[in-house]
Amino acid sequence: MNWPHKDLIGIADLTRNEIETILDMTPSFKEISQRDIKKVPTLRGKTVVLLFYEASTRTRLSFEIAAKRLSADTVALSKTGTSFEKGETMMDVAQNVMAMAPDCIVIRYPFAGMVRRLASTLPCSIINAGDGFHEHPTQALLDMYSMREHFGTLEGLHVVMVGDIMHSRVARSNAYGLGKMGSRVTLVGPRTLLPPGIETWGVHVSTAFDPVIPEADVIMMLRVQKERIAEHLFSGDREYSCFYGLNKERVRMMKKDAVIMHPGPMNRGVEINHDAADCDRAIILNQVENGVAIRMALLYLCLGGSNVD
Amino acid sequence: MADQPLESSDIAKLLKKLVKNVEKAFAVWDDVVFIGIRSGGEHIARHIVGLLAVKIGKTLPLGALDIALYRDDLSKRLLYPEVRRTDIPFDVHDKIVILVDDVLNTGRSVRAAIDHIVDLGRPRRIYLLVLFDRGGRELPIQADFVGKVISLPPDKIIKINIPEDKKSVGDIIITEEKR
Repeated sequence: MNWPHKDLIGIADLTRNEIETILDMTPSFKEISQRDIKKVPTLRGKTVVLLFYEASTRTRLSFEIAAKRLSADTVALSKTGTSFEKGETMMDVAQNVMAMAPDCIVIRYPFAGMVRRLASTLPCSIINAGDGFHEHPTQALLDMYSMREHFGTLEGLHVVMVGDIMHSRVARSNAYGLGKMGSRVTLVGPRTLLPPGIETWGVHVSTAFDPVIPEADVIMMLRVQKERIAEHLFSGDREYSCFYGLNKERVRMMKKDAVIMHPGPMNRGVEINHDAADCDRAIILNQVENGVAIRMALLYLCLGGSNVD
Repeated sequence: MADQPLESSDIAKLLKKLVKNVEKAFAVWDDVVFIGIRSGGEHIARHIVGLLAVKIGKTLPLGALDIALYRDDLSKRLLYPEVRRTDIPFDVHDKIVILVDDVLNTGRSVRAAIDHIVDLGRPRRIYLLVLFDRGGRELPIQADFVGKVISLPPDKIIKINIPEDKKSVGDIIITEEKR
């Protein structure tokens, strides 16, 4: 088997076969987390640096656990408490980190483009853990894995993503990936939160949520990213929740075997309420569990062999 | 040229011999389990367990081990070993494990397999059974049960061509592929 990528910047860079390779390998890594001794020696001696310029709970923890279960050493840095605060540029930070010879840098950055630039400049593997509104490839991989695990296939699956599409890198990565895997994607949100150019993504778009609910196999609720939304684009929690929130009534409208997903963190009472988040259809915690396995598979592929480029 | 490759029908004879030797070695079968290294060893182990069942009237537990994550040569390989599933449907703790591989050569796969097994629990003892021992050891590892010792030039590889249905034993192929 040949894995041609040193880095993972976006799902847009992967072929369908490559996505399948990652998804197919993931169960082997998932099994490791179910053992008493949750560790294999595969990446012994490798160093993985996690640079997080934005807040993160799941992604950071998940990458760190994934790397440690493969025996890699991990060091995590966040924006506060480091000299990022003193005005050092990203490129300087990265080159200083590189001088300490890591094998992989996992990075989350508030703007698109920087992660790709680092990948083309630095010799180590760069994995994008979310860059601005661009992509969050490992989230899309774990989402696709969770859907495939539940339904057996992604082909023909109708996935509806609802909410703040404009600011959602999760929606972009999933739309690219699911499109490649033969799923049907519908993006739903208020017009003010649908990005310009969305018609070129190869997806269906709707400003009304209720009519698409009965047709969906997967309903993925996205967080309203208030920290990024300009005031005039968002009418307020209560109105948003009325039109786009997943509640008990809307859960009842879903197909019998449809599932609810959310990439986290959830804003309970805004895009999703307790009746939806905690019901039997929610596979939100399966997503988190699968996140560790997907990231192990990816670290194995990016770091396991010598670079083939 | 060293020993000629075996006729494919001879695998059945080797398996019979191995089963006979295993049968002689144990008086009680309570804690004996088989673990095959994917994919050649798993195949051989399945046949041994089947043949042994006829003799002792009991089908012993069988598991399969994938050693890709335990290899010591990952960073030296250009092509990645595909990671397959380890599937061991029993607790290895305090068991007598008969580890099975198709060909014993450097001993590195066996080292990786032993490391993997002890990550799953602490067996009472691990035996090694192989269909072919072709020499060339790089680690102090020897098999307890050997089907046949053969010698081959280092540039040749020997492997079992596993048939689709996995029911018949399959053929032995010797090729000159570079390993």
